[in-house]
Amino acid sequence: MRDLCKAAVDAALGAGATYADARAVVRRAQAVATKNGRVENVTDLETEGIGVRVLVGGAWGFSCDRRLDAEGARDAALRACAFALAAAGRREKALAPAAASSGTYRTPVEKDPFGVSLSEKVDLCVRAEEALRHADVKVTEAAVRAQREHKMLVTSDGAEIEQELVETGGGIDALAAADGVFQVRSYPSAHGGSSAQGGWEYVVNLGLEREAPRVAEQAAALLRADVCPPGVKTVVIDAEQMELQVHESVGHPIELDRVYGSEASYAGTSFLKTGDLGSLRYGSEKMNVTADSTTPGGLGTFGFDDEGVPARREPIVVEGVLRNFLTSRETAERLGAGEGGSMRADGWNRMPLIRMTNLHLEPGEGSFDDLLADVDDGIYLETNKSWSIDDKRLNFQFGTQIAWEIKHGKLGRMLRDATYTGITPEFWGSLDAVAGTEAWHMQGLTNCGKGQPGQGAHVSHGASPCRFRSVQVGVKA
Amino acid sequence: MTGFEREVAARALLAAGSDEAEAHVLSERSGLARFASSEVHQPTLIENCVVTLRVIRDGKIGTASTNRIDDAGLKELAQRAAEAADSAVAEEGFPGLPKPEPLPEVEGFDEAVAAIGPEDQARHARAAIEASNSIGQFGFFTSGVTALAIASSTGVDAYQAMSDATTLVVSADDGASGFATRTSWSADGVNPGAVGREAAEKAVRTRDAKTIEPAPYRAVLEPYAFAELVNYFGYDAFGANGLLEERSYLAGRLGEKIMDEKVSISDDALDPRGLPKRFDFEGVPKQRVQLIEHGVARGVVWDRTSAARAGNGQQTTGHAPPPVYRQYGPLTFALAVDGGEVDSVEELCELVGDGIYVTRLHYLGIVDPREGVITGMTRDGTFRIRDGKIAEPLVNLRFTVSVPQMLEDVPGLGREQQLVNSSDFYGERYPIGALVPAIATARFNITGVGSEPGL
Repeated sequence: MRDLCKAAVDAALGAGATYADARAVVRRAQAVATKNGRVENVTDLETEGIGVRVLVGGAWGFSCDRRLDAEGARDAALRACAFALAAAGRREKALAPAAASSGTYRTPVEKDPFGVSLSEKVDLCVRAEEALRHADVKVTEAAVRAQREHKMLVTSDGAEIEQELVETGGGIDALAAADGVFQVRSYPSAHGGSSAQGGWEYVVNLGLEREAPRVAEQAAALLRADVCPPGVKTVVIDAEQMELQVHESVGHPIELDRVYGSEASYAGTSFLKTGDLGSLRYGSEKMNVTADSTTPGGLGTFGFDDEGVPARREPIVVEGVLRNFLTSRETAERLGAGEGGSMRADGWNRMPLIRMTNLHLEPGEGSFDDLLADVDDGIYLETNKSWSIDDKRLNFQFGTQIAWEIKHGKLGRMLRDATYTGITPEFWGSLDAVAGTEAWHMQGLTNCGKGQPGQGAHVSHGASPCRFRSVQVGVKA
Repeated sequence: MTGFEREVAARALLAAGSDEAEAHVLSERSGLARFASSEVHQPTLIENCVVTLRVIRDGKIGTASTNRIDDAGLKELAQRAAEAADSAVAEEGFPGLPKPEPLPEVEGFDEAVAAIGPEDQARHARAAIEASNSIGQFGFFTSGVTALAIASSTGVDAYQAMSDATTLVVSADDGASGFATRTSWSADGVNPGAVGREAAEKAVRTRDAKTIEPAPYRAVLEPYAFAELVNYFGYDAFGANGLLEERSYLAGRLGEKIMDEKVSISDDALDPRGLPKRFDFEGVPKQRVQLIEHGVARGVVWDRTSAARAGNGQQTTGHAPPPVYRQYGPLTFALAVDGGEVDSVEELCELVGDGIYVTRLHYLGIVDPREGVITGMTRDGTFRIRDGKIAEPLVNLRFTVSVPQMLEDVPGLGREQQLVNSSDFYGERYPIGALVPAIATARFNITGVGSEPGL
């Protein structure tokens, strides 16, 4: 793959490119899904190819070819140059300097997930599902996945980087229905479960079978729970929902391409402006957010991003103040701050874009019970169910699968159909407590979308349960 | 198109040997010239060919895919699919692979669109950009050719080549934004300059946006907004799985009047005004399915697996999803809402009298599938309607609506149906869209206010 990438870069430079990079990618993915005791899917997918990105006459071009051979590499390079010439940019592009990197990176793996047979994966799902059985549960679901991506990057700046990233994940859902009411409970999250970089040990340690009876019981109990009443309340939000809150209301707004309008036609822009750097109060002093592409097990962990910039850990929000954006080499140069490091592409046939890596809300102090103790009348919200946020990432509304009243510092009756809504900086400004390290945990999402043509990204977030004051809950249609 | 995909499907089937098997070959050749701030910044050319092999062994089903289409690649594909099948559990009630049936002839392929190359794609993007010199243009022009071939050990030999072209433009600067898009399978529908002008003209009317109090309002939704809302509702409500699992709005409500009698909704992949399809992902002929007829819930879409599970003689309607998405069940890829008797959006505004006007929606989320409750934001052209006319611009608004409730009282529907692209081009290209008119509703529930339009 190294020679093919070099040949592609040489062909692009020969065709007039002032910069070129080539990524050869081989991806294999297995997925098993079971439902109501039936095997819904046993799939084993592979895809491979080479993608070439070029700068010609101040314009970007990108093309790709599924053929991992000399002809495919050259053809992709020449097509990318021709498209760049046809598209012709108006402004010369400059890239933040990057030290010529050569290196390798491999996800540490205890047990190769592709060494685990598909039969064993099916069996794990079937057993977890059996443990979900309950009279009121109409649908039981279990799913596990594994992915290995081997990729080679060569740039005309001299980078030569080979990486192998391995992911695994899984989850279960119980769907209960009775008397026209439908409720769902999931573990460990609602979005097809949770994933991480690592071996099969991650899936085993999720304990899907162990958690299943609780998940089913709660799904059934929700059928008879009261609907969350509307009001302005103190809310305590669990770590899983906080991770999505961080993703949507911090992760996307700090993508510098959104700030510059590059995503205006699809994912949207950002309420942040470049001049906000270092001064904008994003939230209360309890708010500390870090981008970290070195986090062990994170789905956004790598040795180098898809521009060849080494992985790093950098503060994004410090004691409530915005300190950094997520950048590419181009946007970092344009801003005059940052060095890139967040460029990621969805496979071989998409251009790299600025994407989240691992974005964490840093832990505070105390336990979950400490958060509750200081709530006289509030709501505890757990596990995401629905999500929506505007194109500038200001107005959001989330729903959770389950909630409980908090009365005089203790959890009370169970509530269903809970929602909460807010405006990003006001909401984060109302953060008055973040639980400590022992309550902090990380989950991986595999459904983050961006770009045209669309690209999926896999990202991880860590958070602890948090407490917010004066939040609108119980939005109704 | 030469049917090269057919030949690959036949070779994949051959590689499967004596197994009961079904091969899908989906090829794509496309270009997308994406622009921002009136400059092309992400131009992407894609060529790919994905072979998916579904193997059935003793009632156990396994699926594998690859884009290595040489003999060695297909041989490995067959081995992986067989291993996947051996690992599965025999599926009780699996109806087996379908037998071949006559397929309808449809339109949906235009040589002129297929001939659009990278230089043309860049030129069309430039035409959309140059439609305005007073406000930034953001969006893309894309065109592509997709071909799907399905061959099976039961004799299915289905093939269709499809062309599609889409222009999408957001015209925006600080405090203003407008939106327009057009999709077509034929070159007649490609007019990027007109799309760019429509978006820019809308944008200049959105400056100095005002806020309003959250409350239920009467409203007019342009086809762009209505199509997205109907598509989201349809994900859960119009598929057989939601019905069988008692989690969708239509569960227990078939035969009931659930919407205004002016509302009729179908899934019709055969309509030449849409993005026509001959067959589903099992090679079964596509059928037009009436979902809502004059406000009455009539049915959902089925594939062979869900029809067998229904156990009541239900037959497939030709809506099998791609094999790797099998767990989602049958899907509506060609929703169509019948047009009404109102000639223009201006007349729809007259019917509303006092309310809001919505161009486009953003980031929808399903809050409660059982009640059809969806939330999201308006963007790129939200206005107040006063005295039956479009009045001052509004900030982006959060809505939380029960779609059936919103469609209970419909003062009018536009006569003209517009094809709105439903694909964001994730994964492999497969052109889909909804054919919908503009609509006036007596109840569109605004539950929050957001930011000004624009960047």
